[in-house]
Amino acid sequence: MKLSSQITHDIHDSEPPPILGTWARVNIAVLCWLAFLILLAWAFTEYFSA
Amino acid sequence: MTPLDWIVMAITIVAIPAFGLWKGRGSNTVNQYLLAGKTMPWYAMGLSIMATQASAITFIATTGQAYVDGMRFVQFYFGLPIAMVILSATAVPIFHKSGVYTAYEYLEKRFDAKTRALAAVVFLIQRGMAVGLSIYAPAIVMSVIFGWPDRVTTLIIGIICVVYTTKGGIPAVTWTDVLQMTIIFSGLILGLVTVVSLMPRGVSFTDAVYLAGAVGKLNAVDLKFDPNNRYNLWSGLIGGSFLALGYFGCDQSQVQRYLTGKSVAQSRLSLLFNATAKVPMQFFILFVGAMVFVFYLFIQPPMLFEKNAMKTVAALPGYQAAQSRFDAAWNRRTTAAQALNAARKQEAARPLSAALAEYRAAQTELDAARKNGIELYENSQNKGVLNPVKFNDTNYIFLSFVTKYFPVGFVGLVIAVIFTAAMSSSSGELNSLAAVSVMDIYRRHFRAGATDRHYLLVSRLFTAMWGVWAVVFAQYAKYLGSLVEAVNQVGSFFYPVLLGVFVLAFFFRRVRGSAAFWAMLAGECAIVGCAVFTRIAFLWYNVIGALVVVAFGLLFSIGKKRAPAAE
Repeated sequence: MKLSSQITHDIHDSEPPPILGTWARVNIAVLCWLAFLILLAWAFTEYFSA
Repeated sequence: MTPLDWIVMAITIVAIPAFGLWKGRGSNTVNQYLLAGKTMPWYAMGLSIMATQASAITFIATTGQAYVDGMRFVQFYFGLPIAMVILSATAVPIFHKSGVYTAYEYLEKRFDAKTRALAAVVFLIQRGMAVGLSIYAPAIVMSVIFGWPDRVTTLIIGIICVVYTTKGGIPAVTWTDVLQMTIIFSGLILGLVTVVSLMPRGVSFTDAVYLAGAVGKLNAVDLKFDPNNRYNLWSGLIGGSFLALGYFGCDQSQVQRYLTGKSVAQSRLSLLFNATAKVPMQFFILFVGAMVFVFYLFIQPPMLFEKNAMKTVAALPGYQAAQSRFDAAWNRRTTAAQALNAARKQEAARPLSAALAEYRAAQTELDAARKNGIELYENSQNKGVLNPVKFNDTNYIFLSFVTKYFPVGFVGLVIAVIFTAAMSSSSGELNSLAAVSVMDIYRRHFRAGATDRHYLLVSRLFTAMWGVWAVVFAQYAKYLGSLVEAVNQVGSFFYPVLLGVFVLAFFFRRVRGSAAFWAMLAGECAIVGCAVFTRIAFLWYNVIGALVVVAFGLLFSIGKKRAPAAE
């Protein structure tokens, strides 16, 4: 018996994300969040190392 | 610990795996056992991915690292969200569509059997060593804290972990991880609230943050590019991205988590959840460590946090002088911190700049006094030894603080958090080691075409076998000495090669099996060359190794036609 055939779950590649409409927008939002965190951490470093 | 702490600890340690086993009941097929029948929601996968990556040492060492070295370690995680975005757009749909049990199974569909076998063996070597250490490292810390033999703490972690992983498979592992991460988050919040509430009268939260920052403990971002500096923005963004791509995209212990997803979208969300939560979480853990540093500005810490080392030093001839120097340096720093705090609030006549300079000088003197104590211990241990061992008590700082100053009951909870973190990372590793052993080695090379029941039984046996290996490895890890450090960095020796071959598989259809196989070997040679002949920081191996594999893969494929699309 070929085990791979047991994986019968439907793959919904085109399933949209729950927010922002498309995956591209979600990805951009995540990268913007990272940029914001780095900026915040840099400001934190600058402010408190004085 | 008080009886209440013991009760809290015992209940937490027993209840969590019991919950996982209950949720994982009914794992009666290989698909259920290794892939949870592809039914997992995004939040369970997301927390499980986080739990598998965050070992117990992450929590006890990271806080200690902030105490000693400040918060710059957070930059190590800056590349992770970038990697998660790339993987959610590429690896997740590809692995889901190909219907594989392991990431390496895909390599045979795309390349050939020998490339799959080489990748599987690379994974088994790397993860097989790491699984022992993920039990050993917290067990040795616990043994010092409790005064128990390390064999006992190793066995406690190992046996509980092996039982629920072998019995319940990945559903038990995932649901246990969910509960463990919830308790770990609670423990961290509790840690911060407790340390801030223990500050002396007159030292507010903002005062504490200022005092930590004044001596560089809040140095979260370093913009200066230096390839020999382990942690700066650039090594974190570039090296960290490659390391995270290799770890989350090519390491079965992580890939297996998101292969259990209900759909591509659920798996994507689990990775993107980690992308958004991981950096703030690490920042928070480091911040707790920085606050512990401020706490010890006003309550004298031991010269060495490791109790056994302190006992050894106390019996040495140079101890009195070293301890007197440390005491004097600590008194000077406490006075300087109080003066700085007063000057900052303009309650003191002394100008702020002078108070700041004195505080920083006092910190430098205290660091030197502590280093003197460390050297005293190292010299006593390394007499006549050819390969001297460096002493590092970073792992003991946070636990030493917890056991001495936390309220009754909460000590037990935090100790349980450490135990459960050790179990969560080990259980994920055991399950993935079993999956690769069965699917990529046993079924592929030794017994194809057996019944599902047979493979389920073999999967359980391999899980138990890897568990026994992990416990035995952990029992003997202390005899490896400095090799343990090397094993800790071993990921950067192997992940780049796996990452490189998956990049070739996903994006370069011209590259075929033999080219990929030899490119992997070329990449490994390049990494070993970097380690032996250069002083490049290990995070950069991830970039160099992956690029060499891709370059050689393309070089070996010149003149070849594009391969047909993999299934």
